Amino acid sequence: MAAVAIHQFAQCITCHAWNADHSMVAFCPNNNEVHIYKLVREKWEKLHVLYKHDQIVSAIDWSLRSNKIVTASHDRNSYVWNQEGTGWVPTLVILRLNRAALCVQWSPKENKFAVGSGAKTVSICYYEQENNWWVSKRIRKKHNSSVTSVAWHPNNILIATTSTDGKCRIFSTFMKDLDTRAAGLSSSNDAKFGEQIVQLDLSFTWTFGVKWSPSGNTLAYAGHNSMIYFVDDIGPSPSAQSVAFRDLPLRDVLFVSDRMLIGVGFDCNPMVFAADERGIWSFVRFLDERKIAPSSSKYSSQFSEAFGKLYGQSKHGMTNDSLDTSRHRRGAHENCITCIVPLRNAGDAAVKRFSTSGLDGKIVIWDLDNLTDATR
Amino acid sequence: MANSLRSYLTCIRNTLDAAMCLQNFPCQEVERHNKPEVELKTSPELLLNPILICRNEAEKCLIETSINSIRVSIKVKQADELENILAKKFLRFLSMRAEAFQVLRRKPVQGYDLSFLITNYHCEDMHKHKLIDFIVQFMEDIDKEISELKLSVNTRGRLVATEFLKQFI
Repeated sequence: MAAVAIHQFAQCITCHAWNADHSMVAFCPNNNEVHIYKLVREKWEKLHVLYKHDQIVSAIDWSLRSNKIVTASHDRNSYVWNQEGTGWVPTLVILRLNRAALCVQWSPKENKFAVGSGAKTVSICYYEQENNWWVSKRIRKKHNSSVTSVAWHPNNILIATTSTDGKCRIFSTFMKDLDTRAAGLSSSNDAKFGEQIVQLDLSFTWTFGVKWSPSGNTLAYAGHNSMIYFVDDIGPSPSAQSVAFRDLPLRDVLFVSDRMLIGVGFDCNPMVFAADERGIWSFVRFLDERKIAPSSSKYSSQFSEAFGKLYGQSKHGMTNDSLDTSRHRRGAHENCITCIVPLRNAGDAAVKRFSTSGLDGKIVIWDLDNLTDATR
Repeated sequence: MANSLRSYLTCIRNTLDAAMCLQNFPCQEVERHNKPEVELKTSPELLLNPILICRNEAEKCLIETSINSIRVSIKVKQADELENILAKKFLRFLSMRAEAFQVLRRKPVQGYDLSFLITNYHCEDMHKHKLIDFIVQFMEDIDKEISELKLSVNTRGRLVATEFLKQFI
């Protein structure tokens, strides 16, 4: 189990998403474009570039069944892209945001999507046939700061959000025209649109990367204080577990099964967390083999060398000082990992493969062929 | 003495390593802006507690962190008036060329001699460990540089004085 493929697509990648059969990948190279690459005869070829945004694209999600791409950008807009013939046609989303859109995710049924924004709101968008655009309904006045990530519960109604105010909140997004009330589900099921089911106040600092487990029973999110929080029994009396780890904080998490989770973040190396038989979560290990950097770094004496170091150094770290390479981490990623996406095959319950992208511009595909191997 | 400098710098290095977890974050107060939060301080929830690392009263380092930027301010040792003048002149020379350093701030934070401002864009372009290396090495070398300058000023002063006083013999 390791990284099976590493592709250097750009200088820096903010987010990426795959199509249903994983033959195409869409990513944002840290600017206002979205590039779509396709795997043609074992090589990645650039097929399309989507220009519509005028600021950095912060999130991309590709719906698997309806084959639509939704993008969110710091320019306050979001577009839904439809493949028509050889090109991609954007459809307007009436977000009416006055701050940057930060995160976006399709609902499991793909009839809605949620956009979290710097305007401290979450917009739930749905398609309006008459006007051929996507309209939004907002959950406002609930967050005290920017919404950093959103996650849909498998039931297509509940949504979890994390925010830089340190809270994780769960809302109902029930819409009369789109959703039907399933009988016999939890009490949270008859909440109105925008009603807050629960507010989790576990973290003292910013929270990121909320995800539901495949069954929807467990919720996990990461705090910037190097903690990860697992919450069971969402409802009036949730039970929470906080797991602290010794390394740098996480940015995003992914459940590969109900009992195992992968976290990625500033440590440039995916971390595996697993629950034991009693349901107690703990950190297991790093996914990537890591070399311990030798601590005896060489210091040269002259100040001018530091000056020359910065001057002579190319911006992207292609340095001429070979001495420093020994200190370098030789993992798959060399900079903060910001995005982790499952590569789910249709019909599979557990995620066997997933991909990560980071500020080093690489998309790395990881294979979890042997799940027991990971927990060892 | 050298040992205490080593632990001082190690402490700064480790703190920077933990603090330099930055990400792109657009301003939530002003539309379509993206500014270092540590400078603007518009939303208190986006700032972390500042960390002050002191070796002694004269030498300290303040690390202020926010979600998308970090500010490192240092105070250099100035034992006497000569060192004071030398440090002032030298740091002024550097501050005026702040663009060349990319992460150097043109004006230091009040009460400090030199400030670095590192944003998420620097972390995207450059390796984090090299940024940290640069700052730590900078701090290590600046003391050395100033004491060297002081030595050469003193030597020169002595030489000039000797030459001058020769005529009275």
